[in-house]
Amino acid sequence: MDISMIVGLILLGLIAGTLASTLGVGGGIIFVPMLVAFFGFSQIEAQGTSLAIILPTALLSTVVHARAKRIHWGVATVAGIIGVPLALLGAKVALSLDQETLSKVFSVLLTVVAVRMGYRAWTLRPAASSPSIDRSGDSAGS
Amino acid sequence: MESWFTKSAVIGAAAGFLAGLLGIGGGVLKVPSFVLFLKMDHYRAAATSVSTIVLSVGAALILFNGDGNVDWLSAGIVFIGAATGAWFGAKHMDRVPEHLLAGTFAVVMAIAAIRMWF
Repeated sequence: MDISMIVGLILLGLIAGTLASTLGVGGGIIFVPMLVAFFGFSQIEAQGTSLAIILPTALLSTVVHARAKRIHWGVATVAGIIGVPLALLGAKVALSLDQETLSKVFSVLLTVVAVRMGYRAWTLRPAASSPSIDRSGDSAGS
Repeated sequence: MESWFTKSAVIGAAAGFLAGLLGIGGGVLKVPSFVLFLKMDHYRAAATSVSTIVLSVGAALILFNGDGNVDWLSAGIVFIGAATGAWFGAKHMDRVPEHLLAGTFAVVMAIAAIRMWF
C-alpha cells in the first residue's frame, strides 16, 4: 500500500464520517461505491470492507448514544436480533450473486438515496431566495 | 402482540437483509422508518438504528470474512478517518447549511448510481 492510497482512504473516512454525523446517512452507501471507483476494489470486496469499517464505527456511536440515553432499547433489541438471521441470508445471497448484478442492485439503492436527498435539499432550501407565494402549508404532507 | 414489537421486527428484518446484501449499515431504511412508523424523533431514531447495526453488520461480516472479502488494513485506515470525521461533524454540524450538504450528497449519489449501473 503506497502513501497516496493511505491518504485517500483517510480522506474517504473523513468525508463519510462527517456526512454520516451531519445527515444521519452515509457509511456504507459512500464506502462501497468509492472503494470500487477510486481504490480498485471489486464490488464484493468493497462490501465486505465496508462492513468492517461500519462495525467499530457503529459500536463507538452506540456507546455515545447509550450514555446520552437516546436509544430505545425495546425497539433496538427486537430489530437488532431479528436483523441477524436476515443479514446472514443477505450476505449469503450477495456472495452467490455475480458482481455485475450486485452492482446493479446497489445502483438502485443509490438512486433511491439520491432522490431522497435531493428532495430534502429542495425542501430545506432558503425560502427567501424564492419570490413565489408561501405554500408551505399545503405542500407539507405531499 | 404489541404493535411496536411487530413494526420493530419488520423494520429490523428488512434492514438486516439489506445490510448483508449490500454491505451497508441499513440506517438509510431504519432511521426514516423509526420516525415514520414508531413516531421517534430524528435523534432517537438515529441512535436506536446505529445500535441495531452492530448486530446485523457483525453477523454479515463473519460470512464476508470467511470468503476472504474483507481488506482489514484498508478498513482500519478508513475507520481512523471516519471516527475523526464523525467527531468533527458532530461538533460543527450547525455551521454548514443542511440543504447544501444534502444537495451535494444527492449529486454524488446520482453519479455513483449511473457509474455502477453501466
